[in-house]
Amino acid sequence: MNNTNLLVFLRFLLIVTSQILIFNNVLFFGVSPNIYLIFLIIFPLNYNKSLMYLYMFFTGLILDLFSNSYGIITFSLLISSLLRIYFLKFSFGHFDASKVRKTADYIKETSLYQKLTFLFLMYLTHQFFLFSIEAFSIEKFNWIIKKTLLSTIISIILSYIFILIFFKKNAR
Amino acid sequence: MRKIIDFLIKKIHSLTFTFLILSSAVLIIDKNYYHNSKFNFFSNSLINIILEKKRLFTEYFELKSINERLIDENNFLRNNYSPNIDLDSIKTINNYSFNTAKIISNSIKFSKNFITINKGFNDNIEIDDGIITNNGVIGIVNNTSPKFATIISILNTDLIINARINRTKHFGSLRWDANNPRILTLYDVPKNAKIKINDTIETGGMSSIFPENIPIGKIDSFTLPVGSNYYEISVKLFEDIGSIQNVYVVKNNYKNEIKNLENPNE
Repeated sequence: MNNTNLLVFLRFLLIVTSQILIFNNVLFFGVSPNIYLIFLIIFPLNYNKSLMYLYMFFTGLILDLFSNSYGIITFSLLISSLLRIYFLKFSFGHFDASKVRKTADYIKETSLYQKLTFLFLMYLTHQFFLFSIEAFSIEKFNWIIKKTLLSTIISIILSYIFILIFFKKNAR
Repeated sequence: MRKIIDFLIKKIHSLTFTFLILSSAVLIIDKNYYHNSKFNFFSNSLINIILEKKRLFTEYFELKSINERLIDENNFLRNNYSPNIDLDSIKTINNYSFNTAKIISNSIKFSKNFITINKGFNDNIEIDDGIITNNGVIGIVNNTSPKFATIISILNTDLIINARINRTKHFGSLRWDANNPRILTLYDVPKNAKIKINDTIETGGMSSIFPENIPIGKIDSFTLPVGSNYYEISVKLFEDIGSIQNVYVVKNNYKNEIKNLENPNE
């Protein structure tokens, strides 16, 4: 098992356990922050795509099992992982994804404004899919929008702090 | 063959993605009760009109058996009600109101069966209303449209009903184990209850959905699992769910009040 594989696997364990043990039990203003999306956000860019989808599938499946929502998180996480590359291009400009070795590089070399745009797009779409699939009716549109915005803001604040902690060395 | 393998290798990422997203969609629809009933309802509302027409046609041939049932029920009511007794000697609150409906689609072949009736919220039918016949409990309304409503059948492994034994008044929870559509299982009756075969099972008053004392079935056999303090009782239904035509919708007039009292935070 080489370095990247080990790193990804350790991140997987850490993020999934912390989401299940800590953040599923935390409620800010009626929503719990979805930290697990960090796993997708900092996933290595040149990693095997099929393996990435498999990782996302199992992350979602485990989280679903612990929150009694079979398949909902899995589905929205897979859609997010499909959309990630487009959001990367949108927020960081057209750079060659295969040349960037680590996610740390684009976190290090880009401005706060770009990072926040990326985080915002990722979280907004993810939460929107999550809550729309969960509610599954147009009558609850207000509820979906309200929940999406609230949990997006809270999750962004928390996950930005987390990313800063993770990449503290690289950020300096 | 080689071309197929080449194609598979070329498209492996999108194929993996498609496979995974389809399996998660299947999970959502299959495992989540709400989404499942929603999908069930979509398909039902499209074919409901056809089924209603079919019912209008076939109902004519069933008139004889429907008549016989009505006579039976009248006979029962006549035996149990004598006009000489003053029924108002104890004042009770009229908790429940009744409504009639006809079944337009029914199934007993799945493990999670649903029934559709030809009345919806235009006829004041709401989610969580109970469905009964004179012979027993049929199910609970789980979704309504203007003209139709779907019901979780008692032959659905997700539905658990509070029931009790008429003679001893011990209560338990009644559930279908998806084997025989005439046999349900009553769990959680304590082992100190002196039950006998052919004791009548009826609804208990613990839920706000069904009124008390509606007969459900009789005890067919019972076992006491080793090491357990609770009986597992097989109950033979009085009603043949597969052949019912007309049902009563029971509405608890104080449902919202009870709900608000029990869950004041919602």
